[in-house]
Amino acid sequence: MISTFHYLERDFRRWVRGRINVVSALVMPAAWLIFVGLALPIRFTDNYLDFITPGILVLTMLGASLQGGSLLMFDKVLGFLPKFLAMPAPRESILYGKILFITMRGLVQSTVILVLALILGAHLLNPLLLIQTYMVLFIFGILLSSVMTTVALTLEDHDSYAAFNSIVSMPLFFTSSALMPYDQMPGWLAAIAMLNPVSYAIDGIRELQAGVFPADTFLGLTAGAAIVLAVSVYVFRKATV
Amino acid sequence: MTAIEINGLTKSFGTLKAVEEMHLSIDHEIFGLLGPNGSGKTTTVRMLTTILRPTSGDASVCGHSVLTEPRRVRDRISYVPQDMAVDAKLTGRENVVFFAKLYGVRNPRDKADEALARMELGDRADDLARTYSGGMRRRLELAQALVHDPEVLFLDEPTIGLDVAGRKKIWEHIIDLKNNGMTVFVTTHYMDEADYACDRVGIIDHGVLVANDSPEALKARCCNDIIVIRAEGEYRGTDIEGVRLIGQNGDELRFEAGCAGEMGFALAGALAGAGMKVKSFAVRQPTLDDVFLSLVAEQEETAAFDYQRFRTMLRRRA
Repeated sequence: MISTFHYLERDFRRWVRGRINVVSALVMPAAWLIFVGLALPIRFTDNYLDFITPGILVLTMLGASLQGGSLLMFDKVLGFLPKFLAMPAPRESILYGKILFITMRGLVQSTVILVLALILGAHLLNPLLLIQTYMVLFIFGILLSSVMTTVALTLEDHDSYAAFNSIVSMPLFFTSSALMPYDQMPGWLAAIAMLNPVSYAIDGIRELQAGVFPADTFLGLTAGAAIVLAVSVYVFRKATV
Repeated sequence: MTAIEINGLTKSFGTLKAVEEMHLSIDHEIFGLLGPNGSGKTTTVRMLTTILRPTSGDASVCGHSVLTEPRRVRDRISYVPQDMAVDAKLTGRENVVFFAKLYGVRNPRDKADEALARMELGDRADDLARTYSGGMRRRLELAQALVHDPEVLFLDEPTIGLDVAGRKKIWEHIIDLKNNGMTVFVTTHYMDEADYACDRVGIIDHGVLVANDSPEALKARCCNDIIVIRAEGEYRGTDIEGVRLIGQNGDELRFEAGCAGEMGFALAGALAGAGMKVKSFAVRQPTLDDVFLSLVAEQEETAAFDYQRFRTMLRRRA
């Protein structure tokens, strides 16, 4: 569907003209990388930066996705959506364009964070593993941005979306395996972390670092993304007819 | 083939009937739908542009049913809602090219330039839309809408919030489009603008179309001439035949009469004879405002503002 790319192009043009938005989304993950990755006195590994980098990459995607749902919300509130709906282009491409944009934007931001991590002293994966890392991030991005656009479609206004956002963002990150391995966590936290989809993505990238192909992660995330995307399309169709 | 053919179109939200059994036929003209807030104007437009699904009835636009062939309808129309939504961070040209691409026109850049020139935005095309005035933004939206040469154009409150010059320009463009063969369906609150620009107007109240004719015919049918007399003293009625009091406001009395010129003098004389001190009198033709007020039921300004209902209404529109 070519119109998906037209919607994608529109969002990218608007984004790069936003200047502050481009930088602000990077501050949080960069701060984690520097102030926690470099400064925390850790004993379970001698290169904590290498350990925490996958977590921060996924955190970047998480932040991008959570922020992204509001885009569809704004199109709805500001009156763009009725215009788009009265056009002959397939309506679902509005949704696909949004999900794709949020994910791609997240990947661009992750790349900046990855470069920062390398400058700080993290070790580079070989190109093939790097591509696989990006694939994990991509599928994870599709999964989360589908969730968030669905949430944006069902909520009433931007305030409720922001509220929802703040409820899920911190808990999702802290109950994941981003900051420490399971064997270092208290038992109750480890139990939660194992169920957290954010840990899936992080563990997948760590397995790649260790030279294992994380087939189950790929499968699990892809299946999850497919299901959530289907729900999202269903909700979108219901909301726009 | 008629551009717009509406057959018993009805839309209910729960128990509220937003639009009830509408029948209309519109072709190669500017049709203005007038009505108070919440009377069903936007709901009607949204059904005709296939954004809302009618509860019952049907409408065909350019020969295609909004129920069974919505995609074909959308191919032939453009819709400019009232919100004035243009991407402020994109240039005028980028805004239009984006729409041209979405409509799938073959040479989006050329068509965009053409539409921009038509809306007199050619020399500002590369400025960010953020720097545009309200009137320019509205014309930018019209350029977006025209980029695929639609046969029918739907405009929801096209001049809302614009200054006098801006409004005039928008209407000039709309009339120009009609003269080039386009059918334009427009909603508005401004009676004088409808009177000036529309070939035909429909008046809708509580979802029911209560009138549908040319502005001239409506004015002729609904009201006689109007006599306004300012006079001090107590008004005790008059026995002059063919004159009817239609309103009183302080020392201003408003009458309706057949041939107001002659009646005016007679009336002023009679009032003076009854002991009133007549200060002035004026005769005027009825305006579309008078037609509108005589047709539309009294507005519920006295009823408390129903916040819940207001919210429901807003949600529906979003």
